[in-house]
Amino acid sequence: MRTSIEPGRAGFAEGLVSEWTKFRTVQSTRWTLAAMAAFVLGIAVFVGATRSLQPDDTVLGGSLTGATVGLLVAASFGVLVMSREFATATIGATLMACPRRGVVLAAKTTVTAAVMFGVALATSFLAHQVGTVMLPDTYAPGTPMPALLGVAACFSVTALGGLAVGTLLRHSAGAITTMVSVLLLPTLIGPLLGGWERWVAGASPVAAVQKLSQSSDAAPAAVGSLGAWPSLWLVCGYVLVTLVGAGLVFRRRDA
Amino acid sequence: MIEASGLTKRYGDRLAVDGLSFQIRPGRVTGFLGPNGAGKSTTMRLILGLHTPSRGSVTVNGRRYRDLSTPLREVGALLDARAVDGGRTAQDHLLWLAQSNQIPRRRVDEVLELAGLAPVASRRVGGFSLGMAQRLGIAAALLGDPGVLIFDEPVNGLDTEGIRWIRGLMRGLAAEGRTVLVSSHLMSEMELTADQLLVIGQGRLLADTTMQDLIEGNAEAGTLVRSPQWPGLRDLLEGRGARLRPDQQGRWQVLGLNAEAIGQLAAEHGIALHELTPRRSSLEEVYVQMTDTRVEYRATGPAPGQPATTTSSNGG
Repeated sequence: MRTSIEPGRAGFAEGLVSEWTKFRTVQSTRWTLAAMAAFVLGIAVFVGATRSLQPDDTVLGGSLTGATVGLLVAASFGVLVMSREFATATIGATLMACPRRGVVLAAKTTVTAAVMFGVALATSFLAHQVGTVMLPDTYAPGTPMPALLGVAACFSVTALGGLAVGTLLRHSAGAITTMVSVLLLPTLIGPLLGGWERWVAGASPVAAVQKLSQSSDAAPAAVGSLGAWPSLWLVCGYVLVTLVGAGLVFRRRDA
Repeated sequence: MIEASGLTKRYGDRLAVDGLSFQIRPGRVTGFLGPNGAGKSTTMRLILGLHTPSRGSVTVNGRRYRDLSTPLREVGALLDARAVDGGRTAQDHLLWLAQSNQIPRRRVDEVLELAGLAPVASRRVGGFSLGMAQRLGIAAALLGDPGVLIFDEPVNGLDTEGIRWIRGLMRGLAAEGRTVLVSSHLMSEMELTADQLLVIGQGRLLADTTMQDLIEGNAEAGTLVRSPQWPGLRDLLEGRGARLRPDQQGRWQVLGLNAEAIGQLAAEHGIALHELTPRRSSLEEVYVQMTDTRVEYRATGPAPGQPATTTSSNGG
């Protein structure tokens, strides 16, 4: 006897609920986020306690010293959201449940972006509080708003970059290595590129966060002469292009 | 109903599935047979929209899988029992699947109960035995109460009780009017569960027939005959076009003429028979014969007792 189930849908909203459940029911993804927050906050406490920041640095910039490593973890988180599905072959079940692959990717993108934005905003806000409490008034305070929103957005977008690369490469190790290179190389090779420097060095989320946090590390020589927000938009643009490319590949590829 | 037409899948220069056309009808268990690498799993992945056909098409209930609005409510599939995230509990695995197709939460508990997994519902899947993972895969397939079910080697890793459970489950699902496609390399299992058979080899369709027709029609098993007046009987049998083969025990294997015809013929001519044994091949023999010798069968239901029309394939 067939039991009757009231009719339903399998669209974007269902995909969101489903992806949220997937996110919250696996420990490793939560641990990755916890590690990211703990590291950024730990470095803020360390900087506050040891005053290990340049005299011309801001409280905001000094508090977010750990953001560069935090971004690496954020990128890895984004990679894992997708590569874990490939590694465990859960992707088959996911696509059988929702064969419209664009919808699957959109749902994953939304959940990843929202989770990372929330965690990064809370973390950077707390890190700034730590710095404000622990660092003396001799340092310029910096302007936390709307910079902290930009920092959180940059973490979120970096995670999406990881998600896109994880979708393209399917393997965690390769995708994480790629993301580490993308995050760290522009500031290393940018200065060698003359007129292109501002577009290359400024393209790294690391550069965007350093500029947004008004850190003294954000010298044009290191991170490009592009302003803080234009840097963030540039990162958004690159990530969007990568995501669209990943979506096109994901739709065509056999799973 | 699953329908394939000219279904072809090419990976590089390897043709995994080569022009398959078939219809899998509701209300019976269709067994999917073929040696390893014959293209069974690829065909299933093509049905489920996981792979895209190079040519041809396959539909479920008249639509491509990708066009189904709530696929889990129409098709339930178990491809690989280990293709789950071991970090999640059985319950949570079924929960996200249910949510993706707006299947009510109570169904999660129902299928856990049905698959005998209720006691381990909140345990992580990573610690499951293969048998438990198979049960979870079957629970997931049944989640949306679908009319079409596809199982790839479902009895793998199950103990005797589990195998019996699967057998009953599949027969029950077919009896409820559902379409059930099940692949297995265990011939004995197929003989017990499948009504209809789809045999493929090297990506091509070798047979699409009922279990009975396949064994009776394609197995060159014939009838064993022993007679003190053999030379006379032999002439009569050859006169009717039968083919004869001696066996080790001094009997003759008669092909192309059934036991009734042989007995009748002997009686009409006053020939004594000391043995007249119809021999039925097992599915295993038929299968080995079909796939090993690479004989391509056009099994459109040959009349019982008649040898199937066979054409040698050169493998190209």
